[in-house]
Amino acid sequence: MNHPMNGAAAVSGLGITEMGRVYRSTIDLASDAVYLAIDDAGLDKSELDGLLINTGITRGLDLHLHVALGLQELNLLTFMQGYGSSAGQMIQYAAMAVANGLAKNVACVFADAPLVDGQRTGASYSGGRRFGGDALSSLHGLYGFTGAIPMFAMAAQRHMDLFGTSRDQLGQIAVSQRAWAGMNERATKREPITLSDYHDSPWVVEPFHVLDCCLVSNGAICVIVTSAEHAQDGQQPPVYIRGFAQGHRHDAGQAVPDSAIRGPGSRTASQALTMANASLNEVTQCQLYDCYTYTVLVTLEDYGFCEKGEGGAFVEDGRLGPGGALPTNTGGGELSSYYMWGMTPISEAIIQGRGQAGDRQTANDLIICSGNGGMLNYHSTVVLSPETAS
Amino acid sequence: MSQSVDESWLPKPSSRTAPFFDAAAEGKLRLQCCDDCGTWTFPYRERCQHCGSRSVVWRDASGRGTLYSHGLLRRAYHPRHEGRLPIILAQVDVVEGVRLSTNLVDVAPDAVKAGMEVEVAFESLPDGGIIPVFRPVID
Repeated sequence: MNHPMNGAAAVSGLGITEMGRVYRSTIDLASDAVYLAIDDAGLDKSELDGLLINTGITRGLDLHLHVALGLQELNLLTFMQGYGSSAGQMIQYAAMAVANGLAKNVACVFADAPLVDGQRTGASYSGGRRFGGDALSSLHGLYGFTGAIPMFAMAAQRHMDLFGTSRDQLGQIAVSQRAWAGMNERATKREPITLSDYHDSPWVVEPFHVLDCCLVSNGAICVIVTSAEHAQDGQQPPVYIRGFAQGHRHDAGQAVPDSAIRGPGSRTASQALTMANASLNEVTQCQLYDCYTYTVLVTLEDYGFCEKGEGGAFVEDGRLGPGGALPTNTGGGELSSYYMWGMTPISEAIIQGRGQAGDRQTANDLIICSGNGGMLNYHSTVVLSPETAS
Repeated sequence: MSQSVDESWLPKPSSRTAPFFDAAAEGKLRLQCCDDCGTWTFPYRERCQHCGSRSVVWRDASGRGTLYSHGLLRRAYHPRHEGRLPIILAQVDVVEGVRLSTNLVDVAPDAVKAGMEVEVAFESLPDGGIIPVFRPVID
């Protein structure tokens, strides 16, 4: 039985700004991405009637983006926050809106500009040097829990202690993705790396090296979602939104047994694939949220590509890299291309879905994308394909 | 001789967080517990996460637990870390059912493994304040 949302909406426009140490305001970058996406879709600005907005930790963007863009005829407008799951969420809300006639062309925008001229990258996402505040909260920094790295490093360590996952296996994820990045002209880090380079990269919080951690990028990405019918008349090959799901939870304060090794992705992938009337073995490529190498490993397990605990063995033969059996993060991912939260996997999926990935183009029949926020607390899954629902 | 030391990072307990720090000074681990359903919680909450009750009270915990996971901090991000690296980061599941983010002390980093039994210990801060940390249980 076909789900009514299976292929009901599609991506018609994509705008990606310059990425990295681009010292422009978040709102300027966001505006740029919207204009690029409108142009990409072949739309006139007046045809844009929906705007969903999300931004990163510097909070440089708010509801007023429509003012900067001079949009007067919006049927849909909101500012959203679901951390790394936001991009996938925006696509989902936009798809439901266009499929049900609330709006015709919905722009989903993420922009962030945490990098400051003259300040090192690590300072931008480490939570700053704020030590004050509530006495119990202040203990976090004192103990050494600053930013997201310690929590993910400990999650990876639990996986290693429980299942024997090795540092080489985590490293192989970084190596595979860097090999993809070498074929992506938008990628910030393109020079190849070896496992030896990985082990030589500085420690942050063991078991994580610098090369286990995503980049920090200034930039913006806009995705325009429209109905399947409308997308067929568009300027670009439509990429159909075939399935989606969200899952959210928390582990704050409570000793949740599996919180480090299993996330809400363990149910969202099957829900999204059910909507797409497809099965996991039909997935031809993955675009997975990769704030850290470990996030890729745990998501592959949660999605069911391998058994829980076997992610290390699954990735160690280069399966995810160029020429591998399961091409994953084919633009280099957040580790090597650019860090635009959930828009990194979504944008690469759109490029691949259109068949516009050049040397790195790989089978695009069915693409599964993940978005992760918090320590595996907020999750979105989106299934995309150049083929409409069969 | 007084030295100009930046102490802005030192915890400044308020009336609602003082029970935790007062307990540490007494050599105890004190957490919040729901008076209605018995669910423990940390950090500070006004309502029970489980049953929604507002009768959340501070109560002495056992101070015993199991190491959920661990990491080794190799870079200083805080004045407290200077000269103390590497620091063992620890998530401890205390027997009351709460997961604490803390440090593990009195053990070599390569001897640490998820699942090991741990107990509360205490460290002093420059202003005389006391904070709980954890150490392996020696049988």
